[in-house]
Parts: sequence; structure tokens; C-alpha cells
Amino acid sequence: MLARTAENMYWMGRYLERMEGTARLINATTHMLIDSHQDARISWPVLIDVLGEDPQGFIQEGSSSELGVMHYLIEAEDSPASIRNSCNQLRTNARCVREVIPRDFWEEINSLNLFMQTECTLASSRVRRYSLMVEVVRRCQMVVGVMDGTMLRDDAFCVFNIGRHLERADMTTRIMDTLILQQLTPTEGHSSRRQFQWTSLLNALGGTEPYRRYFAQEEGETDVIDFLMSYPEFPRSICFCLQKIESAVKRLPRSDGVLAAIARLRGGVDSEPLASLSTERLHLLIDQIQARFIDLHSALTEESFKAPDT
Amino acid sequence: MNEPIVLNAYRPYPGCYDELVDDGCRARSQATAVARFIAHNGADELVRRQAQLDSTIAAMGISFTVYSDSQNIDRAWPLDVVPRVISATDWEKTSNGLKQRLQALNMFINDLYNDQKVIKDKIIPGELVLKSKNFLAPCQGIKPAHGVWAHICGTDLVRDEIGRFLVLEDNLRVPSGVSYMLENRTVMKRVFPELFAESTIGPVDNYPSRLWEMLASLSPRQDLTPVVVVLTPGIYNSAYFEHSFLAQQMGCQLVENVDLYVDNDIVYMRTLQGPQRVDVIYRRVDDVFIDPEVFRKDSTLGIPGVIRAWRAGNVAIANAPGSGVADDKAVYAFVPDIIRYYLSEEPLIENVPTYLCMDEKQREYVLANLDKLVVKPANESGGYGILIGPRANDEERAQFATAIRENPRNFIAQPTLNLSTAPTLCDEILEPRHLDLRPFILQGESVYCTTGGLSRVALRRGSLVVNSSQGGGSKDTWIVAGEG
Repeated sequence: MLARTAENMYWMGRYLERMEGTARLINATTHMLIDSHQDARISWPVLIDVLGEDPQGFIQEGSSSELGVMHYLIEAEDSPASIRNSCNQLRTNARCVREVIPRDFWEEINSLNLFMQTECTLASSRVRRYSLMVEVVRRCQMVVGVMDGTMLRDDAFCVFNIGRHLERADMTTRIMDTLILQQLTPTEGHSSRRQFQWTSLLNALGGTEPYRRYFAQEEGETDVIDFLMSYPEFPRSICFCLQKIESAVKRLPRSDGVLAAIARLRGGVDSEPLASLSTERLHLLIDQIQARFIDLHSALTEESFKAPDT
Repeated sequence: MNEPIVLNAYRPYPGCYDELVDDGCRARSQATAVARFIAHNGADELVRRQAQLDSTIAAMGISFTVYSDSQNIDRAWPLDVVPRVISATDWEKTSNGLKQRLQALNMFINDLYNDQKVIKDKIIPGELVLKSKNFLAPCQGIKPAHGVWAHICGTDLVRDEIGRFLVLEDNLRVPSGVSYMLENRTVMKRVFPELFAESTIGPVDNYPSRLWEMLASLSPRQDLTPVVVVLTPGIYNSAYFEHSFLAQQMGCQLVENVDLYVDNDIVYMRTLQGPQRVDVIYRRVDDVFIDPEVFRKDSTLGIPGVIRAWRAGNVAIANAPGSGVADDKAVYAFVPDIIRYYLSEEPLIENVPTYLCMDEKQREYVLANLDKLVVKPANESGGYGILIGPRANDEERAQFATAIRENPRNFIAQPTLNLSTAPTLCDEILEPRHLDLRPFILQGESVYCTTGGLSRVALRRGSLVVNSSQGGGSKDTWIVAGEG
């Protein structure tokens, strides 16, 4: 595989997963709002903060309304955090590697993009937004399904999955962080709140039922954070994603830097007593994990996706 | 014999050959199934199928690029819902003629870069070819595999008023459009499954494997499975869709120049696993951009040293650099003689009559008859820089007259042709529209011609300009058993 192709496949994986993660986060946040008491206030700009930079100074502009933030995260073409933008990037990368991806895979990405262009207009009503986000998630999974059923298990497949799982792990931490940040807002503090937001968190990650089954099986301390960080059987846990990246990257000719970065990430997660962490400590831990994802990304692009010097 | 189907509501242009019906609007025998569908279902159903077809094209992501379109680099490919039908008998003769023509042209190119017998024997004036900007001196003395230079040829055909196919021009450099021929068929199969079930329509989908076999036959390492790559200028090129499509369909790597390098006269591709030797480059980059060491020094699309590797016989390049010398429109006028000279055969397909402005007598005729002729520059493609005499104004004609006098070598002229037409859905009704046909011919170890080709349609009423960059559309082309 060409080095250039590797980069494109990797970003395809990342953008596809980012679309799905963002849609999940938006629905989870909206749900939390619907379930909460009338006086509970959700700080919408937190979503922007968690999902990335804010180059246009969007938060400062005061457009912190639910509608403004949703516009920024769903359909704004000039917003690096929007689903629409991720979808454009997904298709642009796919367009560069059409020769290595099956026709069905390309068509599925292309129709996802058409759907975004035609249907994904500002979803002002929450009902409509909810079904739209569900549809985005569903269509992203169709892309994965078609890919899984048609693509050769070659280097391009590996690299695509590395991208998907790195982004997924990253999105899991971002979604955790959002709901933790919500908890840090001053007026809150009672303990039922924590329980309540864990439910939103699990809903966002499709993990409610898997968590119940895990809860029923495990002895002793069982915590949602533990489950999402280090339970290897849950497909959105950090631990699961790292395993996937590890086994895929071993197929590539150069993986030492990536394997070292994964080991550091694991060390960071394992050294903390997750269940008993305070909210502030948890926030710091997540920051640290996210910094190490950036190291992992650098190791991939600077070592594993480079052609050896000639 | 059943009564022929009559398309009552359709009015062909008088004096033009219509592909689907005769002068009495009766369906030609090969077009019976299509005409019956139209007669039974009416224009409303065609409108519905056209909508279905357009959404299929959008979902499949079939697009083309117009350079001036800075906002939207991809535009949906225009395909008309009514197929163009050609009889298998007509086609067989035509495709034999195309194969004959390409074989002769390749012998001609090989001769020009080696012995130049064709000039010594005074078949063609030496100055005409040797002074052409498309004659690339660094290619002299090279003998590519099988003596073939132009491996992929897209020949533009038109039909005159009696339905005879004539060659309008040969495209021997980087002809494009074949992916649209293939995709048009895929889309039509989805939209008209019933018509495909009841007719015997010659399949087109073996082209990518024939292309791969042809390219493989050029490999300098015949004992190994060759590594074939498609070289593209990149995603902003107007034919990028086709480059990626062909690479995907052949199962080979699409590369840009930065992915390749030359070491010790051998071409390598930079892969994650390390350097991989490349045997055959199907280049979709103009030849003068391919190697800054030899041709244009300012090229950012080239691979330094690739011509050295080619000259050393370590890599094959398709089409070979320098092939363009034979698709010059001034050389075109000599192609019938070229066929007779190399093959000792009569051409099976004729040229459109052509006046060479470099010849004094012919030039005087052209200048005196500018209002009746089409004047073309000898070296341009894409339908640019053409004067259609009967439709131009005095000022435009005067400009061309000056240009012709200043540089006669650069111009040819042809009579205005009554191009054939086919029923085309325009604003929900069927109207005749002019069209041409671009079949693709491959030559390596053997010669192959596509079943039909890409039919391009001028969508404006009466217009003769079929280029998609200038508002042209396309039709699926069916070769159906039966007499023409």
C-alpha cells in the first residue's frame, strides 16, 4: 500500500467514527435535558468545548443558545466540529482512494454524503433532531457493515480500522468529559445527579444493556467509568479500542512507536483507582488520556504510515 | 414480420440520419424493443425513468469536473434516458475499420521515430510531422514492445446523412471517457431491467480486464505478474473520476508522481512495505509533463528519470510519449494513405473530407468558403477554438482568416456535416439531438475494440457541440443483433 493511501484510509476511519460519536453525543445531551428537572440548566457551549477548537470564537460571540450550538455541530460547513464537515472530509478522503475500496463501500459513503447535504438542515425541533441523529448513526453503521462485508483484509482495511478505533476511543473520552463537565457546573452537587448522568453516558454510547449484563456478572466494585475505560468486552471501551489498534498495527512493517504509545496509555488507565476518583481527578485523567491519543496519532503518521527512506 | 413500431409524436430533423427511426418515423429493426417501450409507455414514463436514472447517478457518485467551476469540483454526469441503438452488422464493419486504423497509425508512429520510410517514400511531407510540436525528438530510436506506441485510442466517429460512419478525429494521447461508457451501462441496467431482459445487447463490461491484459502484455518482465499502475495528475484533474475508476476496476494502484521514483533506471513505487518495482505505467498525464529531465523542466507532475528507465527497456509507458504526433489534425488528412502504405489495404472507414490550410490551393478554397466550413486548430482538443462557419458572424470569420494566413500549418477545415441524431428527452418531450460516438481501441500484443463506445449528445437544439465541458450529455450505446 502507498503511504499516501494509508493516510487517506486512516482519516476515513476517523471521520466516519467522529460523525457517529458526535451524533450520539448530541442525542445523549438532548435526552439529559428532557429527563432533567425544569430548573436544571445545560450549558450547551460545553459541547463545542469538548468536541474541539473554537476558531471562530463562537462561544464568546454569545451564540450559546441550543440552536446556535446545534447549528455549529450539525450542519455548519465552516465548522471543523460539524457532522457535515466530517462527512465532507470522509468523502474527500474516500475519493482519493477509490482504487482500493470496493464499489459498494464507495456508494455507501457517497449516499451518506448526499443524505447529509439534502436532509441535514438545521434541526430546530428536538423531535426532528433526534430522528436525524439516529439516522446518522444508522447510516454510519451501514457504511461499516458494507465495508466489513466487502473489503479485502489487507493493509488498507487495517489502517481504516486503526483510524476508526482511535477516533472511537477518543470520542468515548470526549463524551465522558462532556457529562463530567456538566457536573462541574457550580449549582450542582447532589449525588443522585452522578447516577443520572451515568445513565445518559451509557445511553450515548449504546452501553446501557451491556453495562447491566456486566454489572450482573462482576463481583465487587463496579463502576461505569471502570466499564468504559477498561472492560475489554465492551466495543466502545478505551481498552477494547486499544486492543483493536494494537492487533491491526502489528500487521504493518513499522509499529514500535505505536506499540509504545499504546503501552503508555494502558499504564495511565491502569494506575488509577477509577471507581473512587473524584470528578476533578477524573477530568484530569481524561485530559491526560487525550494527550496520549495525540501521541499515538503522531506515532502512526510519523512512523507506521510512512514509506521507509529510499 | 411484425408491423414496424411508429413513433408518432417524434419529428426527426430533415436531412439527418436518425439512429432510432427512418424518415417515416418507423423504428429501425435493431431499435424495435426501445421504440416499443417508448410507444407503449409514453414520455411520462421516460420522465420517471430519467429521474430514477439521475438519482442513481448521484448515489453512485458518477461525476465529472469542469475547471472553471471553482466551487463545485464534481458535477453529476449527464446521461439521457433513451439509449442509442446500433446494429451488430454495422458495428462489426466499423470496429474492424477502427482496428485497421490503429494498427496503421502505430506502424506510422514507430516508423517516424525510427526509419522514417514514410517520409522517404513521399507519402507524407516531412516538414508536416517533423516540425510538429507533438513530434518529440527524445523519443527517436526507441522501439517499444510490439512496435506499439498508442496503446489506447479513442476515435471520434460521426454518421453522415446516409448513416455512414466517418472518422472525425483520432485521440492518441490520453483519450478519456471510457469510464462513462461503463458507468452508463451500469446505470441503465438498474433503470431498464426489462429492456435488457428482452434484447440481446452486446456487453461492455470486459473493458477493464482487456485493458489490464493489454497493459500486462507490455511488461518488460514477462515471467512475473506485472505491477501495473495508473498515473494521475491528482484529484483536481478533470478526468480524476476516470483514473480512479479504471484503477479500481483493474485492481491496480493509482499513483501520483510523488509516489514513484527512479533508481538506477528502474521505476519504484513508495509503499509501506518498502520500494516496489513498477513494470507498466498507464499514464494519464500529458507526455511533455512526464519527465522534467527530458521534456518540460517546470513540470510538477513528472517523475525525473522515467524516460531513462523507459529507454533502457525497464518500464513500459502507455501511451508511449510522442504518440501524439499522429493525432494532429493535419496528419489526420493523410491517414487513408497511411493505411494503404503500411497495410496494403483500403481503409474500411473513411475520413471526413479535410482541407489542409498549409497547402496553398486548399487554403485559398478554405478562405473563400469560410461561411460553409468548420475550421479547427490542428492541435487542440475538447472542442475549443473551433469556427463553425455557417453560424459565425463576419467578425469571427475575419479573425479566423487572419489566423489562418499567419499560421496555415495550424489549421484544417471540413465541410459542415449533418451529424446523425437520436431521440433525446428534452423538457419532458422527445426531440432529435445531434450526437457522435467515441469507441476505444486497445493495441498491445493484440488489438481490441469496445462494443460500441461513449455516445455524446449536444443537448441544445441544433447544436453540434457534444463536449461535456460545454453542455453536452451522453447516451448508453447498444449494439443489438440485426441489420442496420
